Amino acid sequence: MAQDATGAAATNFTRGIGLHTKPVPLEPYRSASFFAAERDRVFARAWLMLARVEELPAPGDYVVKSIPTNGVSVILSHAKDGRIRGFYNSCSHRGSEVVAGPRGNAARFTCPYHSWTYANDGRLVGIPDEPSFFAVDKANCGLTPIATETWEGWIFVNLQRRPEVSLAMFLGPFAVHLAGLKYQAASTPVVLTADLDANWKVVMDAFVETYHIPVIHPKTIGTTFSSKMNPFARLLDARKLGIHQAVSMYGNPEYVANPDNRVEALAYSAAATGSVIAAATTEGARAFLEHPSVNPTGSGTWSMDVNHLFPHTHIDCGPGGFWTHQFWPTSPNTCRYEVRFYVPQAQNVYERFQQELYVGRVAEIVLEDLNNVARTQRGIDTGGKDFMQIQDSEIGIRHTMEQLMKWVDADTVAEAMA
Amino acid sequence: MSVRTTLPLGFADLEPFVEQWAGATVDARMYARASADMAGIRRFYEVAVARGAEALEYCAQFPLDAMPDDAALLFRLMLGLAQASIAVEIHGQPRAPGTPWPNSITLQRGPSPFG
Repeated sequence: MAQDATGAAATNFTRGIGLHTKPVPLEPYRSASFFAAERDRVFARAWLMLARVEELPAPGDYVVKSIPTNGVSVILSHAKDGRIRGFYNSCSHRGSEVVAGPRGNAARFTCPYHSWTYANDGRLVGIPDEPSFFAVDKANCGLTPIATETWEGWIFVNLQRRPEVSLAMFLGPFAVHLAGLKYQAASTPVVLTADLDANWKVVMDAFVETYHIPVIHPKTIGTTFSSKMNPFARLLDARKLGIHQAVSMYGNPEYVANPDNRVEALAYSAAATGSVIAAATTEGARAFLEHPSVNPTGSGTWSMDVNHLFPHTHIDCGPGGFWTHQFWPTSPNTCRYEVRFYVPQAQNVYERFQQELYVGRVAEIVLEDLNNVARTQRGIDTGGKDFMQIQDSEIGIRHTMEQLMKWVDADTVAEAMA
Repeated sequence: MSVRTTLPLGFADLEPFVEQWAGATVDARMYARASADMAGIRRFYEVAVARGAEALEYCAQFPLDAMPDDAALLFRLMLGLAQASIAVEIHGQPRAPGTPWPNSITLQRGPSPFG
């Protein structure tokens, strides 16, 4: 590939997948009406990833999850018949929340208000003092189901009473892209949450481009993602997967642990390591890394892939495994952020010690981003700028905005996805 | 006389740091570092890193999930050292420069054990 004045290989992602190259509007990052449209026309109509099956592996297991954007508490329940069902966490009697959560194992759920009782498949099975009621139609007074479907271990819900499209249709080429991926350490996530003073897209945008990394994270990961050959951390690859997308990020092959870092040297004394993102390596990791969509260009200078699942989820893959980010809008300029790093169960004290360093670093990276996104939002909220200038390696931002505009404008999901 | 868990024999020099740095969860140890002053972090770091190889070797005699109480306490202190190193080896200050404290970041679940 040709090099340009920066010394890095030139890219052609944006035009290559047929996106426009004009400035991108900022109003959707601060407008109350756009926030309402996202809530009602995007999050209330799209399939939303809520959990992995490993969170409720046995019959009777349940988890309570929140969709903060729409103010919905969801019970995900694994009943005896093996099916995982989703329900609104609301009692048929007077609407109270039924299950406190966050997780447990139970054959029945009993409302804490008047003890109306439900089987874990949603059926209403008990009304205390039933004769005092007026012929309650019990068959129609179970917990209200939420459309729930599972794809390769990921559990999704859809807030439409009758979803206009199936999960398979919604995922489209995204499901093909990651088909058969062997998720490693899927039952042992490290979970970090934060409530951030920024529009959800401000935060999501920061995780889909590496242009900022040498600037915002110079000490934590700056040297992992850029080098003299690619000083601005340009992307290796970008592809459109229907309404979703995937980008592959550059990694610096020259990065080595600093020998002056005595604790880092203690942790990695026996193991060679390429990237601080890699928490551990296992045999199973090999099968994961051999998947054609993990490091899809087969680059020797690869750090990670971001697989953006519209509207608000990233499933990321790196040399050490996978992790997810979710960005839930809570107001025009606040959001709930959750990151889940799936790290293998440590087998000995050295691995556990490495994990402590890894988690500590990750939290610092999040902290650096947290500061940055609040500053970005304050700038946007000044109203001084109406557009962003978006470069080729920031293609993820442009693509998501194009999709969001379609969903906000379209009267049907089919039209939004066309 | 009160009986409390202390460090294994031979690690008495680390005892003064236990209360602050050997928290039970990652969140507690991270909080210890983020809320400490740099001079205190360096004092702990210098003493603990000098004993680090020996301490990890001592803990490695036992299964990770079935350490005797004194070894588990020593290991938690070493995990506290990992946190302290982020201040000493990366930032040169307790937290990433210019970042807010306190903040809304919560570690809901860390790696097990001692997560």
